[in-house]
Amino acid sequence: MRSSSLVRLAARNATRKPTRTLLTAGMVVAGTSLLVVALAWVEGIFSQMLEQGTDASGHVRVVAPEFAAREALMPLYENIPDTGPLVEQARGAPGVLGIYPRITAGVTLTVGDEIGDVFGLAVGAPREWFTERMDADASLAEGRWFEEGADELVLGATLARRAGARLGDEVVVLGTTQDGSLSPVKGTLVGITRGGNALLDRQVFLPLPKMRWLADIPEGATEVLIYGGHHDDAPGIAAGISALPAAAGLTVQPWTVREPWAGMVKTIGAVQGFLVFIVVFLAGLGVWNTMMMSVLERTREVGVLRAMGLTRAGAVALFVGEAAAIAVLGGIVGVALGSLPAWWLSHHGLTLSEQLTSNFSEQLPISATLYARLTPGTMVGSFFLGLAMAVVGSALPALRAASIQPVAAMRHER
Amino acid sequence: MRAVLLAPLLALLASLWAAPPARAAGLPTAEAILSKIDANLVYETRTATMTMTVESGKRTRSYSMVSYGRGESDSAMEYLSPARDKGTRMLKLGEEMWTYLPSIDRTQKISGHMLRQGMMGSDVSYEDMLSASALRERYDAKVTGEDVVDGRPVWKLEMTARDPSLTYPKRVSWIDQELYIPLKQELYALSGMLLKTWTMSEIREYPGGRRFPARMEIADALKKGSRTVIVFTELKFGVDLVEEVFSMRWLERK
Repeated sequence: MRSSSLVRLAARNATRKPTRTLLTAGMVVAGTSLLVVALAWVEGIFSQMLEQGTDASGHVRVVAPEFAAREALMPLYENIPDTGPLVEQARGAPGVLGIYPRITAGVTLTVGDEIGDVFGLAVGAPREWFTERMDADASLAEGRWFEEGADELVLGATLARRAGARLGDEVVVLGTTQDGSLSPVKGTLVGITRGGNALLDRQVFLPLPKMRWLADIPEGATEVLIYGGHHDDAPGIAAGISALPAAAGLTVQPWTVREPWAGMVKTIGAVQGFLVFIVVFLAGLGVWNTMMMSVLERTREVGVLRAMGLTRAGAVALFVGEAAAIAVLGGIVGVALGSLPAWWLSHHGLTLSEQLTSNFSEQLPISATLYARLTPGTMVGSFFLGLAMAVVGSALPALRAASIQPVAAMRHER
Repeated sequence: MRAVLLAPLLALLASLWAAPPARAAGLPTAEAILSKIDANLVYETRTATMTMTVESGKRTRSYSMVSYGRGESDSAMEYLSPARDKGTRMLKLGEEMWTYLPSIDRTQKISGHMLRQGMMGSDVSYEDMLSASALRERYDAKVTGEDVVDGRPVWKLEMTARDPSLTYPKRVSWIDQELYIPLKQELYALSGMLLKTWTMSEIREYPGGRRFPARMEIADALKKGSRTVIVFTELKFGVDLVEEVFSMRWLERK
């Protein structure tokens, strides 16, 4: 039997039992639309975390090797004593758009006479890092950002609340030098940020010179953060930076090799794979059910076709083709239906409570508002997965049809 | 048959009941030892000039300080060097502590967790450095045996805090049998985890028969590769201290 005849037959069969066809199509529509929403949602959340994370920690980071090994302890003494040459040379490296020395350290702070109970993470960097990379102006809930040379600082909202600090208050930040000596700085609180991110809201932001004084690293920093046009450029930029004379003896890390980001990429794949498996399996089960009914109903017809010369492969193609034809229509409708809520989520997002975001993780920057990310890849991928549901669901019934002996099938009572 | 088996056991129990603990006749009581230790280490007034050397990993740094002590709970200390820390002062009155930070010209009361942090990144906490409380009042002790430390015979004492909220609820000390100074101490948390090892050496005699170590070495078990050595270059006991030393005015003086 010619393949064009098979396609015609498959299409005609699809219209013979509209209810069953609608049921099959419904399975594909539901599965495909669910996939569009779920994949867009997962991709959106992880992309957001990855983008925020790499913005905060650099597309590429240069540190002393010992700092990389003991980062959890934030060892100030494992620093790059003079970041000048590295910054100067990195400016000319291919793909590099921004270079910022940064120092972070655990501190205790107060606006009163007593100190020792309110802890935060002090972050000292050039003002441009905050404005260009941390979207500082947008995250300001009150006041303004600090001026580079002034005795000013900015607090995250959670930290400001815990310390009871208000704009205009003189805040004392007590940390240690790289040698461990007590080291205080004070500054006027000129801004309070509410980044919608639990980690950022517990930080105190200082101009780099002030942080250098606090840590007693006059010309250096614990990290040099380097940025390209997009975080995907990181491995190439890291290769270029590693070749610089000023980077000799230092550890150059693109975000792809740093935790938690490296692990997160694997997690994204695993979560998406799991979602796809579940949805395809369940929708495939529904398609299998309706197609199996179709095979049973048409046993005599298949026997006649087989007696007329329809091969086993032809019988398989007949049923898989019928399912695929339904899936093409179902897939288009499913993608269209799923794209609506996915589009809405990508523009409006869902806002979590502050408590939930602050409890979620100490390590990952979780935004209070989580957005989906609807891409053509997600839509096309979901459409083809819809086809896969139909093919997987119809494969077993089709194989059963192919195994029917013509004589036995023609004797089959409906 | 049962009687045959029980007889040796009963005889053993009877002998244990009747016999005093090994060398008990030669052991002083724990209370007596603690009293003698307190007589050496607890003072009415004291001034000291000292250097503190902190070794952590490959890094070594030194501080010099002058300190004043009055009774068990009042003390004051001023950093003389390095230049960055010069003029930093600390004052402890009873359970409260303040520090004056010259670089921002401000006095802050220190509270909570900070009191138990390493002073200037050392293995000694602010509490350790600025307290001189009598052991006998805070701990129940028992002598668990004898040993030799640095070639000197010592009593081994196990001490359990009467108040379990103390920073070191359990101590094991090796007390010099002649000098009544703990040559070595292991300080434990309530969980039984070793927190610090503290050794004392270069014991000197002061007027009134008091003995005091001129050198202390402290290792925080939670800070790998870290060690702090305190050397007293000058020690005076029973000195007349002006009242002003233990005041906010002293703390904030220019």
